[in-house]
Amino acid sequence: MQNILNDPMKRREALWGYLMISPMVIGLGIFFYVALGASLGISFTRWDLLTAPKWVGLDNYSYLLHDEVFRKTLKNTIKFTVLNVPLGMIVSLLLALALNTHIRFRNVYRLIYFLPVLTMPVAISVVWKWLYNPDFGLLNQVLREFGVERIRWLNDPHYAIWALIFMSIWMGSGYGMVIILAGLQNIPREYYEAAQMDGAGAVNRFFHITLPLLTPTLFFILITSTISSLQIFDIVYTMTKGGPLNSTRTIVYTIYDDAFKFFRMGRATASAWVLFVIILGITIVQFRTQKRWVYYE
Amino acid sequence: MELSTRRSVIRPRTIPFPSGFKVPGFVLRLALHMVLIGVGVLSLIPFVWMVSTSLKGAMEVLSITPSFIPQEWRWENYKEAFEQVPFGRFYLNTLFVTFVRVAGQIIFAAMGGYAFARLRFPGRNFLFMAVLAVMMVPGQVTLVPNYILLKELHWLDSYQGLIIPSMFSAFGTFLMRQYFMSLPQDLIDASVVDGCNPLQTFWHVALPLARSTLVAFGLLVTLWSWSDFLWPLIITSSTDMQMLSVGIAYFQGQFISNFAVMMAAATLATLPLIVLFLFAQRFLIEGIAMTGLKF
Repeated sequence: MQNILNDPMKRREALWGYLMISPMVIGLGIFFYVALGASLGISFTRWDLLTAPKWVGLDNYSYLLHDEVFRKTLKNTIKFTVLNVPLGMIVSLLLALALNTHIRFRNVYRLIYFLPVLTMPVAISVVWKWLYNPDFGLLNQVLREFGVERIRWLNDPHYAIWALIFMSIWMGSGYGMVIILAGLQNIPREYYEAAQMDGAGAVNRFFHITLPLLTPTLFFILITSTISSLQIFDIVYTMTKGGPLNSTRTIVYTIYDDAFKFFRMGRATASAWVLFVIILGITIVQFRTQKRWVYYE
Repeated sequence: MELSTRRSVIRPRTIPFPSGFKVPGFVLRLALHMVLIGVGVLSLIPFVWMVSTSLKGAMEVLSITPSFIPQEWRWENYKEAFEQVPFGRFYLNTLFVTFVRVAGQIIFAAMGGYAFARLRFPGRNFLFMAVLAVMMVPGQVTLVPNYILLKELHWLDSYQGLIIPSMFSAFGTFLMRQYFMSLPQDLIDASVVDGCNPLQTFWHVALPLARSTLVAFGLLVTLWSWSDFLWPLIITSSTDMQMLSVGIAYFQGQFISNFAVMMAAATLATLPLIVLFLFAQRFLIEGIAMTGLKF
């Protein structure tokens, strides 16, 4: 440290360094670190932004733990994630495997499968809401041809979360597909040639070469899509507003609702910290267990 | 010798093309095409239905028998979308906010990433770790305090509020640092010999080389910013400040009765991203494969 400050060359370099990182460090310092500290503080208060905040200790957290609706919210969020992530990954994997062949028009297929990723979630939710419309929606009109009774997709507590999951898979599979395709392209051809010479069939090659060498890619998608599924908000807001009977109420929707509709800043930030702990916990478990199934060359 | 003959026997049927496997057999190929087309139809139906509904009359929308081809093509629905809601304003807001956010994220992330990769200064590792740690915390944790901060600054319902807190990307800093670490030291030494200070080296030597990484990052940030919803939803209140995403949600609440006009609005909000993608497809797909960024 002392050396650097004495040597004019090194001192100059250090000064330039601080100058160049300063916008990022100051920006994140204010909008992340200061906010993070404030957030923890606010979560121990009752505060409606109109009157002064009142210190309540752990009340917000114990309220959440005992609140029936929040428990349901947690359950919904986990359910959405546990279904959305693996189903989405399977669809992505199948699409990528099919397009990793030398089949004709593969670029056209890839483009088409990728289009849903590019849509603005709010705008396309409006479209899906229309598709799911019980009376005039395309889905029910098609189902009617097959003799299926009118289903109130978004207004029936049994179906609403499935409707969201289906749409979410539609929206997200193309993204996973592109990443998996890149992973598949990185597998050295020699492995397949060698296996071929040893007489390994297609099924064997898939389970002994493709799948093991793809596990780092799959692990990456697992981590990122778990984190983003746990934060699902846009489509819930536009399509169901958490209903019916709270069957699609998720953590982030609750945070929004508490903070900006009911002005319960304390409870909203406490929920956000609960979400953070859940994400952190799940991510740590996923990293811990990766040894068992992720294969690094 | 024996090995090579065996190889040459197998080659014509099974040695894969450089970028994929050959699917053997006409029937198998046909079956695969059928499946791929089926999935393609599922992918496209919501888009087709959106555009088709957007051109129908208010009565036809509510018809019991679905049809993809409108009886009369009502382009007026698009005009109505612009008349009923200040859609033009939402468009301009979204374009402006996205442009400034993307420019800011790119510049700050590249500059910071370069310094973290290439310059030595006390506390560098600690500060870099502090930047990385940001990526681990979900944004909702800082939502309420940032809202309150903006309220105190009187930045609610303003462009500053929409733009400034969203200009600092920890992920971008990490990405750019990784890129700049890979540059050969000779290149940087050469420009130092030429008398460049670090900022000049960064600007004239390193940045031009990072072009493809910057384009990929920029495209992904553009997609994220265009669709960004929660932040504009909570901090904007006047119609004049709204972005497209919030505008659409608002539109849905107000004009739920006319589905055709709503689909016109959804089409208008979706179109720019698809056009952008068609032009930049290669960069975007490379970028996603390279960075894995979820927007």
